[in-house]
Amino acid sequence: MKKFMFVLMAGLFVCSQAALAGNVTGSAAFSGTAPAKTEIVMAADPTCASLHTEPVYTEEAVVNSNNTLKNVFVYVKTGLEGKTFPAATTPVSFDQNGCHYMPHVTGVMVGQPLEIINSDSTLHNVHSLAKESKEFNLGMPIKGMKIKKTFEKPEIMVKMKCDVHPWMNAYVGVVSNPFFAVTGEDGSFEIKDLPAGTYTLAAWHETFGEQTAEVTVADGQPATANFSFSG
Amino acid sequence: MPPKKPSLYSLDKTTVAFALASVILVIGLVWMVLQDSTREWKGWQRKFMTYMHEKSVAERDQTLKAVNQGELKRLQTELDQAKAVVKERQKDIRKAQKELDIINTRQIKIKTSYQNLKQFQDSDRYYYEEDEEHHEKEKAEPYAKAMEARAKEIAEWKNKLEDVEAEQAAKQSEINQWTGKVTELEREKARLERDVTTVETKIKNFTPTLAKEILNAPMLDFIHPTLQVQQIVVEKLQDDYYFAKAQKVDRCITCHLGIDQKGLEDAPQPFRTHPNLDLYLSSNSPHKMEEFGCTTCHGGSGQSVSFTTAAHTPRSPAQAAEWHKKYGWESLDYWADKMLPLNHVEASCAKCHTGAVEVPQAPQLNEGRRLAAEFGCFGCHKVEGVERWKVGPDLQHIQSKLDADWIVRWLHNPKEFRHSTKMPQIFDVENTSDPESLDKNAAAIAGIAAYLMKHSDPIALTAPSAAGDSEKGKKLVEEIGCLGCHTSQGFSANHHGPELTGMGSKVKTDWLFSWLKDPKHYSPGTRMPNLRLSDQEAADITAFLMSDRNEKFEGIRAPYVKPEVVSSMTVEFLSSTMRHEDAEKKLTEMSPEDQLEFIGSKMIAHQGCFGCHDIKGFEDAKPIGVELTYEGSKDLSKFDFGFVNVPRTKQDWIAQKIRNPRGYDHGKVKPYFEKLKMPHFGFTDEQANALATFVLSLQKADIPMDMRKTLTETEKETETGRLIVQKMNCQGCHTVDGVDGRVRAMMTDAGAMPPVLTGEGKKVKEAWLYHFLKAPVTIRPWLHYRMPTFEFHDKDLTSLVSYFNHLSDVPARYVADELPQTTPEMLKEGKNLFEQLQCIKCHKSNPEPGLSASFLAPDLVMAKNRLRPDWILDWLKDPQAVQEGTMMPAFWPEGASPLPDVLEGSADKQVQAVRDYLMAFHPEEEKKAPVPETKA
Repeated sequence: MKKFMFVLMAGLFVCSQAALAGNVTGSAAFSGTAPAKTEIVMAADPTCASLHTEPVYTEEAVVNSNNTLKNVFVYVKTGLEGKTFPAATTPVSFDQNGCHYMPHVTGVMVGQPLEIINSDSTLHNVHSLAKESKEFNLGMPIKGMKIKKTFEKPEIMVKMKCDVHPWMNAYVGVVSNPFFAVTGEDGSFEIKDLPAGTYTLAAWHETFGEQTAEVTVADGQPATANFSFSG
Repeated sequence: MPPKKPSLYSLDKTTVAFALASVILVIGLVWMVLQDSTREWKGWQRKFMTYMHEKSVAERDQTLKAVNQGELKRLQTELDQAKAVVKERQKDIRKAQKELDIINTRQIKIKTSYQNLKQFQDSDRYYYEEDEEHHEKEKAEPYAKAMEARAKEIAEWKNKLEDVEAEQAAKQSEINQWTGKVTELEREKARLERDVTTVETKIKNFTPTLAKEILNAPMLDFIHPTLQVQQIVVEKLQDDYYFAKAQKVDRCITCHLGIDQKGLEDAPQPFRTHPNLDLYLSSNSPHKMEEFGCTTCHGGSGQSVSFTTAAHTPRSPAQAAEWHKKYGWESLDYWADKMLPLNHVEASCAKCHTGAVEVPQAPQLNEGRRLAAEFGCFGCHKVEGVERWKVGPDLQHIQSKLDADWIVRWLHNPKEFRHSTKMPQIFDVENTSDPESLDKNAAAIAGIAAYLMKHSDPIALTAPSAAGDSEKGKKLVEEIGCLGCHTSQGFSANHHGPELTGMGSKVKTDWLFSWLKDPKHYSPGTRMPNLRLSDQEAADITAFLMSDRNEKFEGIRAPYVKPEVVSSMTVEFLSSTMRHEDAEKKLTEMSPEDQLEFIGSKMIAHQGCFGCHDIKGFEDAKPIGVELTYEGSKDLSKFDFGFVNVPRTKQDWIAQKIRNPRGYDHGKVKPYFEKLKMPHFGFTDEQANALATFVLSLQKADIPMDMRKTLTETEKETETGRLIVQKMNCQGCHTVDGVDGRVRAMMTDAGAMPPVLTGEGKKVKEAWLYHFLKAPVTIRPWLHYRMPTFEFHDKDLTSLVSYFNHLSDVPARYVADELPQTTPEMLKEGKNLFEQLQCIKCHKSNPEPGLSASFLAPDLVMAKNRLRPDWILDWLKDPQAVQEGTMMPAFWPEGASPLPDVLEGSADKQVQAVRDYLMAFHPEEEKKAPVPETKA
């Protein structure tokens, strides 16, 4: 009987935990005229140029076909104060591929490793212009090289650049919780298992700035938060 | 009743007189004693006792809390137990103690006998040695025998002594087995309670007791009072009382009782701790209290022990009022050496710290000195030991630069043309604004303009060879380095050179073009460097600068110059050297132009324009201002306060003079040429105060040489370099000597900023730096900022090289070709690494055109001659640590090598190999070293 009660209690506890969190979904809509695409000229480094047959465009404003924005970093701006979350141990991949950062925008937790990869057979240097965390600038001359780096403090956003190839730049959002996402090809995002509560979500875009939205998560119900940017 | 004896005095009257006198004496005595026992400082000392008592009691509670109570309890229990044991064994202990006493007595007896024997032996030895020396064998013989016989005896007694001492130790340890524990525990307990005990002692010291009251009681306090005047007798310094010098005795600590004690930082005054004990007062500071006293820096009357007579000086009228209310403070009008208010106390630093551009930790004094140099104060005021240079432009070729009309409008109101100008307002100010003076001002200005135009040589000018593009010129001004000294169109990082505004309303186009191309052509002494502009660049900048006009200024109409005023001024000047009649006669011989030129030359002499400007005809003129070498020591009575309502102190007089130089003429009736003539610079209160501190610091101090700060050779060289750096405004662009390069704040991309020169002495070789400063070459082709050519003299060049060396604490090394020792293997691996790490990707000698700016890095061909081998190692290991924000990446982050197969993967060895290769690198090698394509 006692054993049964224990199992029941444990079950209830687990359920209540699940019931007290919910997923937040949404998208970053875009209105207005999309800026013209800028082609990257890689002639300065023949190795880079040889890696592409198709033209490559800059990514400071990528408007998807469904009039949404790609590369929007969505994170919890307020509502999690006083809560601490252990840093995730799975590294976030950050690849220098075809003289291009992949992905252009990504997020990482404070203390979570960012695995920087060089997939090109040319010299890259990855220069973090972090203001809150210690700035780093690493030379990566060998193809296949991997270096793991972490950030010590939250920062929206840390700019990364390559001094060898000035067209290469990317942004990393450093936050102190696991609740963040980046919009993709369809402009949508999903933040999983956000504990029940009321939050201000913020959506950051490199060109179009930051938008915020209030969202309340309750009882395992999915919540939505939509952002709209205009050009 | 016996008859009254006749006397010369009346007994009754005398008695009355005596009685009266004794009453007066008693009252006088009581009054005196009361006065003495209620002296101001005694009150403060009593208050200090109360304050410290309260503080210590509070402290005791804190320390008690800090004591580990559990541990204390355990010790107490154990101690009690140990004491119980001792009590129980009392009988045994007493018995053992008695036995020990007997043994002790025996030991003393034995020891005495033993020592006596030894003394006899020594005595015999002495006689034996002496007789032997005198070859008296027969006499010596008996001593030798006696010694031999006694030696045995001594050995025996020594054994006896050792035995008894062993016995003693055994007995003592027998006793200790019972009592030893108590001693040990008591010691441990005392250690635990040490802090509490200290506080307890303190409390005891500060607790009022009857004994202390008696000792301090009136009439008894001559014996040994606890309330006493405290004083510092400063051995090496003397106070000057005009007719006599007396040793410096400072009694400030009679009331400032906590001044050198830590922990009283928040105490009420006068008990508060000095705010900087690391620098002052404490025994390990450079300014020890016993050596320097208080008034050496603070001023005031050190021997006085009352608030007023110590000559405290309030910082403001508000504080004066507050002090008067609180302490009955009055200003000591007849005491010359009043205390310096805290905001001017840095002036005293200069008593000992002479010969330095910067006195450490004296920001206001340093700022004052800097302002004085920047605004050309030394042009008119001689100050011994200060370098002078003319801060204004050279006027010897002025006619090629601008016209007379501009000079007239400018002299009437310089700020109207350029608000930020350092040119002061000389005419039309407070004491020369009456109609008569205004007429004279107009004539004087016209005269000066006429003189300057006439007494200047034309100079060859070049017209812009190409049409200038104003837009491009604007960009150049913003990017090429002009902002390193000048303010232009809202970009305001530097105010070293004049603000670049309204040039179109001032100078001739050809002049500006020629000036930009080669400033020293027009003015050999100018500090404006040569930016090595191409004709096109100079034309563009000329076009841009000339496009900016000051229409308001152009529209100003100069006041009408009355010919009769010109004539009367001419006569007035002439009359100073000849009879009036002759002067009148001479006037008739002069044309109006001659008269103008004549009064111009006289006005230039009168106002001392040559203090800041090079003017023909005034090459050897002496500065017109009061010499300020010892201004700070000047008697207060020699400062003319006139009818101006400022507090009667030197600092207030000086600050007021600097703020409003003509102000002290207020209410005075003076002829035009006798009026005060120091021009109006428009200083802010803050600037005026800094300058006042500097002027106060100029004093004749009677300080022995060994107490002064004497600069070492190294420090002197550093100071010389520092002065050049300040004079040439190197910090306008570069971060050096703890100051951030001022233009850097306007930029966001660290890679585009002018280089940081912190650690430059450690980085580059002396010879290279010398030649670079002499004739700069491009090191960083991606920078728009251009290192100008200053055309330094050799002396300045060597000073600058030494300065950079000293800042990095690197001794000068005159090694022609300093190369590290290396091996062919290291060079081979170095080359291999150089290629694999693709260094050449950024460090190109001849970058292909069209590459983006940040593609580039310094040409490594230069490294061999430019860089110090050791620096390259530090740099390669962690570039960010050497220069934050650099584009140079770390190839061996945290000591890990990306190439484990080269040189056993050792980062240190790889770094060294690359360095060795670089030091042997030749330009041809680069061509042979194409960027390798690493196979996937």
